[in-house]
Amino acid sequence: MNATFAQRLMPALGALTLAAAGLLPMAAQAQGSLVLYCGVNEDWCRAASTAFERETGIKVAMTRKSSGEILAQVKAESSNPRADVWWGGTGDPHLQAAEEGLTTDYKSPKVGELQDWAVRPWEQTKGRTVGIYSGALGFGYNAKVLKSRGIPEPKCWADLLDPKFKDEVQVADPNSSGTAYTLLATVVQLMGEDKGFEYMKALHKNVNQYTKSGSAPAKAVSLGETAVGITFMHDMISVAVDNPDVKTVAPCEGTGYEIGSMSIVKGARNLDSAKRWYDWALTPAAQEFGAKTKNFQVPSNKAAPTPPEAPKLAEIKLIPYDFAKYGSSDERRRLLAKWDREVKPLSK
Amino acid sequence: MPRHAPASIEFRSVTKRYGTVTAVDDVSFTIEPGTLVTLLGPSGCGKTTTLRLIAGLEIASAGEILIGGRDVTTQAAADRNVSMVFQSYALFPHMSVLDNVAYGPKVQGLGRARAHALALEKLELVGLSGLGNRSPSELSGGQQQRVAVARALVLEPEVLLFDEPLSNLDAKLRRRVRDDIRDLQQRLNLTVAYVTHDQEEALAVSDRIIVMSNARIAQSGTPRELYEEPASVFVADFIGNANLLPGDLLREEGDRAVIQVGALTIDLPRRGASRGPVTVAVRPDAIRLHGTQPSSPAIQAQVAKAAYLGGHVEYTVGSALGELFAVDRTDRTPMPVGAPVWISFADRDVTVVPR
Amino acid sequence: MAPAAKAWLVAAWAGYVLAPWYLADPLSALGSGGGLWLGLTRAPWLLPVGLALVAATWPLARGLDRTRAARWLVAAGMGGLAVLWLQGFAVGLSGWGLGLASLLGAPGPAQGGMGLGAAMTATSLLMLFCAGLAGLGWCRGDAFVTSSIGLVVALVGLFVLFPVLTILGSAAGTPGGGASPALFVSRLADPSIWGLGCLAGNGTCGVAWNTLFLAILVGLGTTLLGLAFALIATRTAFRYKKALRLLSLLPIITPPFVIGLALILLFGRSGAVSALLFDVFGVPRSRWIYGLPGILIAQLLAFTPIAFLVLIGVVQGISPSLEEASQTLRARGWVTFATITFPLLRPGLANAFLLGFVESMADFGNPLVLGGNYEVLSTKIFFAIVGASQDQGRAAVLATILLAFTLGAFWVQHAWLGKRSYTTVTGKGDSGLAPPLPRRVAWLCYATAIPWALFTFAVYAIILVGSFVKAMGRDYTPTFEHYLTGFRIEQTPQGLFFSGSAWNSLFVTLKVAVLSAPFTAAIGLLTAYLLTRQTFAGRRAFEFGTMVSFAVPGTVVGISYILAFNVPPVEITGTGLILIICFVFRNMPVAVRSGIASLSQIDKSLDEASHTLGARSFTTVWRVIVPLLRPALVAALVYSFVRAMTAVSAVIFLVSAEYNMATTYIVGRVEAGEFGLAIAYSTALVAVMLVGILLIQLLVGERRLGRRTALAAAPAPALASS
Repeated sequence: MNATFAQRLMPALGALTLAAAGLLPMAAQAQGSLVLYCGVNEDWCRAASTAFERETGIKVAMTRKSSGEILAQVKAESSNPRADVWWGGTGDPHLQAAEEGLTTDYKSPKVGELQDWAVRPWEQTKGRTVGIYSGALGFGYNAKVLKSRGIPEPKCWADLLDPKFKDEVQVADPNSSGTAYTLLATVVQLMGEDKGFEYMKALHKNVNQYTKSGSAPAKAVSLGETAVGITFMHDMISVAVDNPDVKTVAPCEGTGYEIGSMSIVKGARNLDSAKRWYDWALTPAAQEFGAKTKNFQVPSNKAAPTPPEAPKLAEIKLIPYDFAKYGSSDERRRLLAKWDREVKPLSK
Repeated sequence: MPRHAPASIEFRSVTKRYGTVTAVDDVSFTIEPGTLVTLLGPSGCGKTTTLRLIAGLEIASAGEILIGGRDVTTQAAADRNVSMVFQSYALFPHMSVLDNVAYGPKVQGLGRARAHALALEKLELVGLSGLGNRSPSELSGGQQQRVAVARALVLEPEVLLFDEPLSNLDAKLRRRVRDDIRDLQQRLNLTVAYVTHDQEEALAVSDRIIVMSNARIAQSGTPRELYEEPASVFVADFIGNANLLPGDLLREEGDRAVIQVGALTIDLPRRGASRGPVTVAVRPDAIRLHGTQPSSPAIQAQVAKAAYLGGHVEYTVGSALGELFAVDRTDRTPMPVGAPVWISFADRDVTVVPR
Repeated sequence: MAPAAKAWLVAAWAGYVLAPWYLADPLSALGSGGGLWLGLTRAPWLLPVGLALVAATWPLARGLDRTRAARWLVAAGMGGLAVLWLQGFAVGLSGWGLGLASLLGAPGPAQGGMGLGAAMTATSLLMLFCAGLAGLGWCRGDAFVTSSIGLVVALVGLFVLFPVLTILGSAAGTPGGGASPALFVSRLADPSIWGLGCLAGNGTCGVAWNTLFLAILVGLGTTLLGLAFALIATRTAFRYKKALRLLSLLPIITPPFVIGLALILLFGRSGAVSALLFDVFGVPRSRWIYGLPGILIAQLLAFTPIAFLVLIGVVQGISPSLEEASQTLRARGWVTFATITFPLLRPGLANAFLLGFVESMADFGNPLVLGGNYEVLSTKIFFAIVGASQDQGRAAVLATILLAFTLGAFWVQHAWLGKRSYTTVTGKGDSGLAPPLPRRVAWLCYATAIPWALFTFAVYAIILVGSFVKAMGRDYTPTFEHYLTGFRIEQTPQGLFFSGSAWNSLFVTLKVAVLSAPFTAAIGLLTAYLLTRQTFAGRRAFEFGTMVSFAVPGTVVGISYILAFNVPPVEITGTGLILIICFVFRNMPVAVRSGIASLSQIDKSLDEASHTLGARSFTTVWRVIVPLLRPALVAALVYSFVRAMTAVSAVIFLVSAEYNMATTYIVGRVEAGEFGLAIAYSTALVAVMLVGILLIQLLVGERRLGRRTALAAAPAPALASS
């Protein structure tokens, strides 16, 4: 090596080192901070974490991801956890995390204030996850599109099998979406496994696309790309408030539902802050941020007011959804494999 | 810039292998300081690899290379005090002529002003003053060649290397540039190694010539030694297009030998040959053609081709010894094709080739 | 010992003794301090590293000769690095690692992630090792070359192969955590991957065939379109060249999802064009855009610019004298084109195809939005990881298939290019001017490029309009609302306050992109230089290693980075650094490819001339190669800058609260159905990137190659080319 090389390389290396050092973490675990993985919509996440910061002075580092992504990430990080609280998102991944020991148990003094359906997962997992909101499965349609095609408005699950709906129904792929898995589990519980799969096969003939994301059919309905979309009702309502053509339906036969949940990550670095968030998130005041940001799920605290736009759980025929059975990894894997084998490859 | 005295180049059993291919095989030679030595040979003989070994662009697989008495075998090109003129000139297309020539001093750490002064000096030396701001692509082939020479000279290297420097020039220019290079070498007292495949070029410019064949040295010596005393059939053929004729050594008489070639009996320096079959190299100029049968013994032949070339006539004649190539500088009227001729040899330019 | 080696020795000791060895992490039981101090007091496993340093210093102390000193350096460097690496895994975050716990009793000592000191020591040991190799005569004794090779190999090994192998290792993993070869085989043989139902006319084809088919179509399509654009831009007098070049580059600076979204708004069942066709011609509205046609169009839009960037440098580099030579041999214009120009374009075409092919395979956003029921590997992999089935093993198998396809494409490319010479920039100044395109070829180019350009224009018009109306497709009331939500700036007593919701992610994204682009270009072009100009053992394997990260889908890279870098010894998750590293090594292959394409045109004797004039490899690279590589440099910088601004899938797992990227923000908006804000943000990003590209162009400047570039550049100093 000669001087020219060294002279030239050294500043470059120096610059690299400085730039790199600037990006190294400056210990985000200082007292009074919280790392939050948020599984609901961005606005809701932001509103809640800002309010919590203001109230407690604890600095919240919030990252929003889908529940599947959060589970994958928590799993990958399990040997050196980064997150403290996993807040929101459909219940199945929370149950799975609890099953795999990725989350830890906590008995909040607020558990007593919750609806029964919110406490059930908490009991089931020995305190590892708790319900914070719930939403019923349903479908929505674009009234304008239906009218232009002369198709009657559907009211029940059975209506969707009408050949008139050929290529007009959109639903997510249960392999990729918890929403669609909830549909599968719902019809299996509603009709029995054999009849349920018959239903899925018949529905398959009318499905124009299995989307990847669970809420995508709601957007497709709003744009008129499909006439009917099967989603959680609150996802459909979110687009319906902006587009009067979109109508939301609670199926007449009864339907399943999800329990949006919350868990504390095992090995959380800021356990005290995590517990404060946990307690806070179960209060009625905290649960109102959903409705404030146009997310119309039903809150789990008995004292929290249900937003007027939200589907009234009392008015919907809810099935006694067996979260213990259908939330377990084995049963899920079995049903998905069966769907893959018997429904997906069918021609239309 | 310190003025460097010309240095010697010495190869000691140098070998260069690429995988299983041996490009230079156990080669040893010495180039004396201040001389111009040509590496001559057909393509693929290893001459360019040898030149690149001197430059440090290739590193020897075995053996030692010394420049100015110092071992440079493992030294990188940049560390050797050697410059090279490339066959393609390798002028940097994104730099002006001046920047091209000033490149060497600049990367040696000389200031811009000093580098430019040196470059201008060399440009003047090669007769290109005033063209410094042009880009290389705006110059003629000959001018580009001179830029390449100026660029190589600017560091006043101990050794200057030329890789087929004339191959991209037209015939007329070649002669001039050839003379210029020789002139420059003698004026500046440079050690020059020069690669070419053109034997005429080699004979014209060299102090000594190293003929290479199949990765080895076939012969080295002064142009005259090579021409008059080729050490092998290959050298005899490659330099000066000798006719190689089968002969029979009849008697050894001290350092002379009496040899029978066809109908002729000739007396030649023996050059280590012994009784039995030998090869005799006869230069085209040494073949005398007679239109009528001479009184002395002669080989009978027939004109196959005749070409009038101004100063001389070139003949191809068929004979019992095979086809012969002859040059007649005495009679400018070509003999007709098919005419019978008789052949005898001149006293010079006929030699026994050692086997 | 060379002065540089001495400097590295000093750096190694400084890193070991002075700099803090570990990251500043309150969880670390060992506290802070230099490696030597910790080694003597609490962490004895660090002491062997010091031994290696002593060994490296030995030749200096004893004044050993060159060769013997070099041997010491090689041994010390190699030993030191091995010890460093081993101890990093042997002593984990929570006790013994590498299965030592059962041997030595749990839990054993613990240590945190390597910090500045360890990084300095490791780098210096590597450089000493390379200096030693150079001293032994490797790479013609050129320490720059050995160091570069060492550096690139180490970085690619650490940041590409290590994480990828970590995750591919799980291909045979069972859900319980064990490993089963039978499971691997059954996963691999899954009919949903390899089924050929579509050929028989019933059912669908396996996802592997779908992906392959799409990738080949996209590779061919982008190469042809890119070639048409490149030829028009360099070889014709087309009047709207500038506009054409600008338009052809827009897609590359468009965030993902946006093209797909725009296509739906145009051609979806309720799209503007569909509505028009229905109203005027009675063409029934259909969902044809969802599936292969939609993905194909979106990917062609997105990846043609890459082919253009690669090809324009190659087209410009072709020496006009070759074409002139052909014309003097009585070859008509188009014969010259077919027999001379086109074959000389082969390295460019091959590289462009390879990039299009691999990009298509790795693309995730477009299939997600437009895929319909046409399944491709990248989305399959994503949902295997994050979907309801959470099957990382299956994802690893699918990723392996994807990798195998890329490997195959790479091999085919090499076979096609063969060992021919494509040198066209020689040291002999050439004064020719490129002939204009033969008319037939020119019309063909126009016929291809102009409709495509108009189409691109329509797509962008939709995007622009979409950002200024209330709700695209429903409510066309003009509004600035979306921009205000995202980019509001308020005047407060403390100065300007960036209160818009998009500012934070925009600033972070810009910072990461600006930092990663030069590193990407530098390491990519350096690698290209090593690959084309140096011969060393294992060069082909090295070349493939640099391509791997490109072939692995972003999601897999993201997860693999967490698996590999969330725990010591290299613990960088949650930092901005991991984002930069991820981008550098993901985008490096483009820099390598365009560097190779350009370098194969530059005569090697230019380098050699520089060497014989006393310039070292580094000086030669800096003063001769880099100026001649300007088109490749621009391509590399632009591409890596833009990709860092627009990538989604890889970073989705790497972003943290502090380092949130623009694209994840946009995806969030799309998910929430706020298309207006998403499109507005995307439009803003496009504007930012345009400025970035112009700046890069300005900084790097033009390449001068005799008269021809001057000519090509004068009328059209357009974007990111020449």
